[in-house]
Amino acid sequence: MDLRKLKHFSVLIALLFLFSHLLYAQTKTITGRVTDAAGLGLPRATVTVKGTKVATVTDAEGRYTISVPANANSIVISSVGYGQQEMSVGVQEKINVTLQATASNLNEVVVIGYGTQRRRDVTGAITKVGSEKITSIPAPSFEAALQGKAAGVQVTQGSGLAGSGSVVRVRGIASISAGGDPLYVVDGIPIIQDNFLRSNSGGMNQNPLAAINPNDIESIEILKDAGATGIYGSRGANGVILITTKRGKSGKPSFNYNNKIGFATYTSKPKFLSGAEWLQARQEAWINDGNTGYAPLPSGITWADAQNTNTDWWNLVTQTGFINEHALSMNMGGKKLKTYAGLNYGNNESYIKGNAYARFSARLNMDYQFLPNLKASLTAGWNRGDNKRVPAAWAGGVGDALSYALPIYPVYKKDGSYWTGGANPVRRLNETKWRNIDNRYLAGLTFEYMPIKDLILRAAGSLDYLNSTDMQFESQNWLNRTDIPGIAKANPIWGTNKVFTGTAQYNYSLNEGHKFNFLGGVEVQENVINEYNGEIYANTDKPFWEQMNLYHDSIDHFKTHPASRPNFAERERDHWTFNSFFGRINYNLFNKFFFQLQARYDGSSKFGPNYKHGFFPSGSAAWILSEEDFIKDLQFINFLKLRGSYGIVGNANIPSGSYYYRYNVGGSPYNGNPTLYPENIGNPNLRWEELRNFDFGLEFALSKSRLTGELSYYNKTTVDQLINAGIMPSSGYADAYRNLDGGKIINNGIELSLNAKIVDKPDWKWSVGGNISKNYNEVKSLGALSADAIGGGTNDTRIIVGYPVGTNYVARFYGVDPDDGLPIWLDKDGKLTKTFSLDHRVAVGSVIPDYLGGLNSSVSYKGVELSTLFTYVIGGNIYDGAAKRQAGVVTDWNIRRDNLDHWRAPGDGAKYPRLTMTTSMYDGLSSEWQYNSTLFLYDASFLRMRELTLSYSLHKDAINKLKIKGARVFVTGMNLLTFTKYPGGDPEIARDFENAQDRNMSPNVSYLTPPQQKSVVFGVNVTF
Amino acid sequence: MLVAAISFTGCKKFLEKPPQGKLQEDEALVDEASLQAFLNGTFNTQATEIYNGRLWFINDLMSDEVNGVLYTEDNGEIYNRRTSIFGAFKNDTYTRIYQNIYRANKVLEKLSLASGNKNKIEGEAKFIRGLMHFEAVRMWAQPWGFSADNSHLGVPVRTAPNIDVIDRSTVKQVYDFVVADLQAAEQLLPDAPVLGYPSKWSAKAVLAKVYFQQNNFAKAFDYANQVISSNKFAMDNMQTKRFSLSDSKEIIYGFKNTQSVLEPGSELRDRYRSDGTNFSPNNDFKVTDQFFNLATQPGDQRAAWYTTINGYHPITKYNANQFNVSIIHLTEIKLIRAESGAELGSANLAIAIGDINDILSRAYAGTSMNLPANASAADVIRVTRIQRELELIGEGNRLQEIKRITARTNASPDRRGASAFCPGLVLQFPQGEHSGNTNFIMNIEGGCN
Repeated sequence: MDLRKLKHFSVLIALLFLFSHLLYAQTKTITGRVTDAAGLGLPRATVTVKGTKVATVTDAEGRYTISVPANANSIVISSVGYGQQEMSVGVQEKINVTLQATASNLNEVVVIGYGTQRRRDVTGAITKVGSEKITSIPAPSFEAALQGKAAGVQVTQGSGLAGSGSVVRVRGIASISAGGDPLYVVDGIPIIQDNFLRSNSGGMNQNPLAAINPNDIESIEILKDAGATGIYGSRGANGVILITTKRGKSGKPSFNYNNKIGFATYTSKPKFLSGAEWLQARQEAWINDGNTGYAPLPSGITWADAQNTNTDWWNLVTQTGFINEHALSMNMGGKKLKTYAGLNYGNNESYIKGNAYARFSARLNMDYQFLPNLKASLTAGWNRGDNKRVPAAWAGGVGDALSYALPIYPVYKKDGSYWTGGANPVRRLNETKWRNIDNRYLAGLTFEYMPIKDLILRAAGSLDYLNSTDMQFESQNWLNRTDIPGIAKANPIWGTNKVFTGTAQYNYSLNEGHKFNFLGGVEVQENVINEYNGEIYANTDKPFWEQMNLYHDSIDHFKTHPASRPNFAERERDHWTFNSFFGRINYNLFNKFFFQLQARYDGSSKFGPNYKHGFFPSGSAAWILSEEDFIKDLQFINFLKLRGSYGIVGNANIPSGSYYYRYNVGGSPYNGNPTLYPENIGNPNLRWEELRNFDFGLEFALSKSRLTGELSYYNKTTVDQLINAGIMPSSGYADAYRNLDGGKIINNGIELSLNAKIVDKPDWKWSVGGNISKNYNEVKSLGALSADAIGGGTNDTRIIVGYPVGTNYVARFYGVDPDDGLPIWLDKDGKLTKTFSLDHRVAVGSVIPDYLGGLNSSVSYKGVELSTLFTYVIGGNIYDGAAKRQAGVVTDWNIRRDNLDHWRAPGDGAKYPRLTMTTSMYDGLSSEWQYNSTLFLYDASFLRMRELTLSYSLHKDAINKLKIKGARVFVTGMNLLTFTKYPGGDPEIARDFENAQDRNMSPNVSYLTPPQQKSVVFGVNVTF
Repeated sequence: MLVAAISFTGCKKFLEKPPQGKLQEDEALVDEASLQAFLNGTFNTQATEIYNGRLWFINDLMSDEVNGVLYTEDNGEIYNRRTSIFGAFKNDTYTRIYQNIYRANKVLEKLSLASGNKNKIEGEAKFIRGLMHFEAVRMWAQPWGFSADNSHLGVPVRTAPNIDVIDRSTVKQVYDFVVADLQAAEQLLPDAPVLGYPSKWSAKAVLAKVYFQQNNFAKAFDYANQVISSNKFAMDNMQTKRFSLSDSKEIIYGFKNTQSVLEPGSELRDRYRSDGTNFSPNNDFKVTDQFFNLATQPGDQRAAWYTTINGYHPITKYNANQFNVSIIHLTEIKLIRAESGAELGSANLAIAIGDINDILSRAYAGTSMNLPANASAADVIRVTRIQRELELIGEGNRLQEIKRITARTNASPDRRGASAFCPGLVLQFPQGEHSGNTNFIMNIEGGCN
């Protein structure tokens, strides 16, 4: 007899037994509490008298009271996601039970907009990433650590520069000129996240998120569908990333110290011709062009000097970076007061000389229970990001080492002074200094009051204050001046972002089967970013950061001496407001069906007078199939949930007041008379762009929850795209903000994440997990605009009907004519031609990959654990925008080594055409800048070992001896291995962007972008 | 708390955050003074963004006076007479020209705000609009005379400040529009010249230039003659005065330097300057050996306008930190009258000989090179064309002469050997014109060298 039959048999026996004794039944009352392994009360656990229909459900604290027939033998306690437990009923009147979780994450608390939910009850698409996964690698900024950890979330780290930001895309991209990044919300406050506070100065978009200390983060929830982001209304279209910082937990005071110490280098070194080879190529091009004698050399270098010089600029401007991070935190929680405090210092040098990001932070989060029904919570963090900047990419420095700094250029002249005839990145490195210091305070105070049972009122005020000071210094030598000792410059930007949120939440149960949760709220946000209307400077021999007095004195001087700086003043750079009302109704039907309706009504200073407010409704539902009898019988299914959502959300990520016709009073007169200037063309109809978002998902836990996962499908349609492009320049303007009439862009896709515990024994554990997602992106309509109307900066990406957002739009290179070495092209119709033309440009590639995701695995034996994370991208293209000069026309740029495979004599089968210095030698080519073609378009697929960690957690005995609570030592490698077909270096590229539109369209386009960092760190993590 | 929320949000202004320090249109353009300030800003922009040397540099790069060795990027593309739909230097210049036109149109739209100075305001706006369309049509279209009836495509004519989608007008339509605007300006503008502002004489001088560009010698002569006969202007004793801080009497329309407030000519100093370490052969203007030899003949005072650095020949005309910038000056008007007079012949030939001799005697510090009183019209034309090149070096002159003479003679005088009316002598429109208006017909590219 198998086990199941035995079970049925015993139930039958029990029923018979019960029936025969029914007439004599008496009852008694049992009370108790059901808790989870952590000792927390489990609400809504079912307590059933075995063999009867008598049952009850635990309350919010896990307590229950049940009347049990006197003759009952036992009670059964169960809760979804937990193992079932049977307790025999004897004389005792109190039975406390601890249930062990089965599908481990089903009961975890998930942070949602303006609240929390049990994972099993969630009706939206939300991925949670825990703290340990955020701090596992020395990523330059916390969001970079999300790479490969959440299905449907593409994280492309910018570059190997210290503090570099990432382009994060949640389920594709549909925004054009408005920011396509998700909304970042830290502890309830949508924070200042503008990547363009410093434009792209120095070849990097200064990343305001980098200052946030990853060690402070308890969890990151990524809200993906309208069921999740709908409550954020006009700002939910590109997903929402909720960051929750650590809070005090119940328990005696405990401390944690952890550190990381290690080294950083580059993932790949670009390979260029030596000085002699470069000269040879130059001369070959000169002769090819029909000239005689020696080719003229750039920057006045003579052949004799050039032949005696071979400078390796890359080596001169790079180093092995040192990584040094320390974090100390404290946790304590009593009956009334719970506290988390953290201190952090870290300094991460990149592999570029002079480049580092130092982070200091302090955090104090406290919760105080004044009364049983009144609680106050303080959330306070100070983060200081000190970025030692270096110019890169087009701005020079390490970018020059890849372009204008030729190996035939010397560092020094014969007299020992710097050579200044052309690019000299060593001189730049030594004679200029640059530092960007961000001080960021994030603080909030929340009161939570329960005037009556089931009604919770919350009032929260939050403040996000950012003070960012960019300071540069140019020495006397750099300026080539003797009249001043050097110039210190500074450009401070400071902003205050205030949020007030008031919510009322009411729980209402019609009866056990019908539970409602009502939420209503109001939110007001005001964000002001300020700056000075001119640069702060002083003639001095040291940077401002070494003499902050001079910095403050200079500001005071300019303010009080209008003669020296007319009109010098502070000014608002951006000032926007939101005024919102929102509501949510959750309906839990029989603990099996969950329905959610939510809506937000947003007004904003970003919207024109004709569309001041927008309404954004969404609805979602979930059905827990595993509660149904026909699934309950299937033993291998522990949990099965279907969920779906549909909603309308918006994107409002544009500068405030773009709809005004703006005029400037001129700063200086014209011939002594006042001046007035127009700035733009206004548009009173400016509003949000609109996303219609459908999501359908399946969540499951199988085989004793050893295999868990989630499968999702989504379909998103975006209309009314915000664009700031596509007008005729003969209007007098290059751009004007408006909503694209008739625009339609779709994103649909599938995401799968799986986690399997293959070996799960006390000593031996082996787990494997991963996710994969496919996003299909297509521009369905662009209204009246044509292919060239919307471009991604200088990156030759376009938005074209029938293709994805960010389509590579270049001519097709067919090959090299073996007879004359000239390039052969395909024209628009696919016919061969030897005449280049921009009319031959077609959609040939996409910056958006077909598939992306991550694979992780962890093996542990006792305290030793080896874990790894691979991230991958399949499909899509990389375009190397610098190759047209590195491996194209011979100009005053470095030449890539793979260009050696060029045509030299009739009959040669070569990859690259004959060398030339004259663009017109390649018939039809107007300039080397236009030499864009599929010759420099590459497959973007890669597989990268993002993380490899070997760790050892001290054995309990050792811990007891040392009188500590836990200790772990580890060594972690980041980006140790990369598998790619891309010849230009590292395949993970998000170059510096000119604006949001460029950022939306041009990740995966490289332009002298410094390759990613590779690092190894050692560390300890001790709790005591 | 709820009260606080409501009182905070109750204020409607909370959702209106006009960018600080900016005026909205109904605050900015309110009266005559504001229209004048708006025009002042437009002149300032013209001085600092178009006539700062930028437009001339594009012209000069496409001329046959320039030595193009080592030019790359945008400079190389323009030098090679094969501009494309891209190239920010050229494309931005186009947008800036039309931005001036937008502002002129804005003034005309708001003209009812003007009162006592209405004529001056309207005249200035029409002067700007006409002049800018003239600059655009010279650069972005085949010249007058390319087709018999000038029905070939010109540039968009913008008559209102908006982002409407419009097509190219024909060259005839553009020139008619330009002439109409300038003739209106001629009537409306004040009589007394003030440096930095157009006078009626500025409008007449530009009209002389426009008609000369059309090889309409009678009209060109007439307008040039009116300007010269006005006696409002006089030849400087030295050519160098036109770009100096000394008080040139030649400038008919130009920009006045005001130290550290408005220093016109920034691109002239950036692209043409050759003193100190200012000259870079990779990026800066330098003339060919052939032209250098022509321009540095013994006795020619203007030979001082050239120097030799590392074998290259940059010019010295703009070797100063500050100077006034002359956009149209008496020397050019005399050159127009000289050539037009010679073309017209009879009584006008003598006036032409007088004009060219004024220029020659100044250039050679004496009459040794002067033409005889009985010089032939052909000789006067030949000498005038050479003197025009020598006088106007670095002033964006030669490319337009190549175009004009080609239209006049049906043969290209180009020393770089380009065929007559080769497409690449016309700049390509920015890609935005086509992508914002799919009916917009772009120029043909290249085909010159």
